[in-house]
Amino acid sequence: MDFYFGLAQIIGVHTLIGLSAYIVLLTGQVSLAQAGFFAVGAYAAGMLTVLAGWAILPALAASALLGAAVACAVGFPALRVKGLMLVIATLAFGEGVRLFFFNFDYQVAKGGVKLGPLGGEGFRQIRYFPENGWTTMDVMLFIWAFVVLTMALLWWFDRSRYGAVLRAVGEDELAAQSVGLNLTAVKVSAMTVGGAIAGLGGGIYAHYTTHIEHASFGILLATFAIAYPILGGLGSVFGTLLAAVFVQGFLVEGLRFLGDWRNLLFGALIVVAMNVRPRGFLDAPTLLWLKRLFARTGGGSGAA
Amino acid sequence: MKKIALAVALAFAATGALAQEKTIKIAGFGAKSGVVRSFGINSEAAMLAAADQINRAGGIRLADGSKAKIKIDYYDDRCTAEEGISVARRMAGTDALVGVGPTCSNVAEPLFGILQKRVGNASDSGLQFPIFTDVAIKGGLAQISEWAFRNVPNEMTMYSSLFYWLKTQHPNLKTVYGGVEEDFAHSRATWYVVMKNRAEANGYTVAGESKWLLADTNFATQVREMKKANADIVAISAHPFSTCGVLKEMQRQGVKPKLLVGLTSTSSLETMQGCAKQAEGMMIPTSFAPVNKEATAAANATAKFKGSADLHSMAAWENMFILKQVMESEKLSGNPKDLQADRRKVRDGLAKLRVTKGLLGDTKRTDDREADKPYLFVQARGGNWVVLHNPL
Repeated sequence: MDFYFGLAQIIGVHTLIGLSAYIVLLTGQVSLAQAGFFAVGAYAAGMLTVLAGWAILPALAASALLGAAVACAVGFPALRVKGLMLVIATLAFGEGVRLFFFNFDYQVAKGGVKLGPLGGEGFRQIRYFPENGWTTMDVMLFIWAFVVLTMALLWWFDRSRYGAVLRAVGEDELAAQSVGLNLTAVKVSAMTVGGAIAGLGGGIYAHYTTHIEHASFGILLATFAIAYPILGGLGSVFGTLLAAVFVQGFLVEGLRFLGDWRNLLFGALIVVAMNVRPRGFLDAPTLLWLKRLFARTGGGSGAA
Repeated sequence: MKKIALAVALAFAATGALAQEKTIKIAGFGAKSGVVRSFGINSEAAMLAAADQINRAGGIRLADGSKAKIKIDYYDDRCTAEEGISVARRMAGTDALVGVGPTCSNVAEPLFGILQKRVGNASDSGLQFPIFTDVAIKGGLAQISEWAFRNVPNEMTMYSSLFYWLKTQHPNLKTVYGGVEEDFAHSRATWYVVMKNRAEANGYTVAGESKWLLADTNFATQVREMKKANADIVAISAHPFSTCGVLKEMQRQGVKPKLLVGLTSTSSLETMQGCAKQAEGMMIPTSFAPVNKEATAAANATAKFKGSADLHSMAAWENMFILKQVMESEKLSGNPKDLQADRRKVRDGLAKLRVTKGLLGDTKRTDDREADKPYLFVQARGGNWVVLHNPL
């Protein structure tokens, strides 16, 4: 059972990084900076629990805040450009963060052993969970509590005026601006919320892998981050969750038995999925159909 | 009466058959895809070949005197930390007694981190599953967990010995220039912690270093820097894929150092297949070469399973025989209900070992669960790795 709990941990963390890109995508911006915010959160939370002896919750709160602050700072200059230029700008930021950690040494001797980030060799022994007796199920439940909270927050955003504003900017910037919306404020706020979610996800990631290094936060992770909401569809937060389950649960783990063929199928199946569902797994018509289905089921049981 | 006798005989036969059908599962894992896929493919082949040999000889003797056959399951972790952890949890969820792997140091480090740090520490909920590493070679990793063991060569000793020997053989050579695959944990650590350090300790001046990445395909700038330094010795700490790229670029730019030194993992068939001509003369310390009857037989057996023999895959071969010895001496039950107890016996048995039998001779086991393996120096000559010197 531990294996399935472990898999659920991975899916949970990938859902978080997907959700961090989801909110930015709602404003029509494609950001490859999420892996950078994720890395900032991972190193910050790891250093706080290992070197400063913090408990996990304040460390994660700090990693989310730091992720948000960095995203906000990056958002102002980066969001002045859009389209492909924004992709390049955020990619450059992500690579900059990765290279920063590639060269970042900060080790402290604890109990005769040097702990902390050691440049390209990474940061090992982030063992808060096992050292405090957390079982794999405990960690899984902990992660999913954050996933559910984040999804609930974004779902609420989606139904609030703020969500409508985000989507309005995403649909037509000119129209949104003409009705008095401050585009920079909207985009930067989405980037900041996305940064907080990515920072939180990174903080959790550092603790369930126990070892982090620059290579884990490269272009591949940034691509996965935007692939989840695009593959899942921007109609609902549940699309991102569905895509993370599809990629991590089915393509990565479910097809492991295929050996070398898995890598070939991985790309091919994503292409197939995008062709079959060009607007994502949960696009507007599907959501409408689901809503009607639930309404009918709910109405039927009420009448009975 | 005859019917009853027949039924009893059949029952005994069935019991016997069941006893014969006992299996001991050993899980292998490593990179079977990506740039370093050859490591996983070769290790799996070596494990299958060794298991085949052990099974042909009857299998593993259990506590009740019965024999169990070995079954190997091999998992691809794609050389990524996240997948390595997932594979470890999957292996621990099966009836595998022990895991042999991983191939990449960047997987070994996080993986050992999720294992229980100190055996018997009830407050540590880390995974209690023995891992016996064959390939991941970055120094000092087994100290992360008492469930982690390695049978990999000690690079510090090997390169110390190599640079010392080079100094005695070529006293006129003074400078060393490094080339390092910067983003691969093992290559990076080997250059900065081992090669550079050992070269300086033996009186060489390090004239500089060029850096590249594992997946790089263009090395023009790095080789230009190398050419400018004009060092006597070029020491390349990189895996076969990028080593070959650099060697070809060195040939293109006419860089001809007096001596070439390579990373221990490069003393493999992949280098000979990729750039035998350019690697001509390269010297590498390694813990395997088919220099005796036993080593040649192991290499031939592995070839039958479509793998090639090198220091890494032959460590996997050795691990299988060491595990057989441990399992028999620790008297495993082999029953599914005793799985965790049997895993603990395997761990404790591995921890007790002080010397193990290797293909090149006896390997000393250290207190921190590492190996001190015999080694020799090989050189690329005419498309083959030939033994240059045996320092032991």
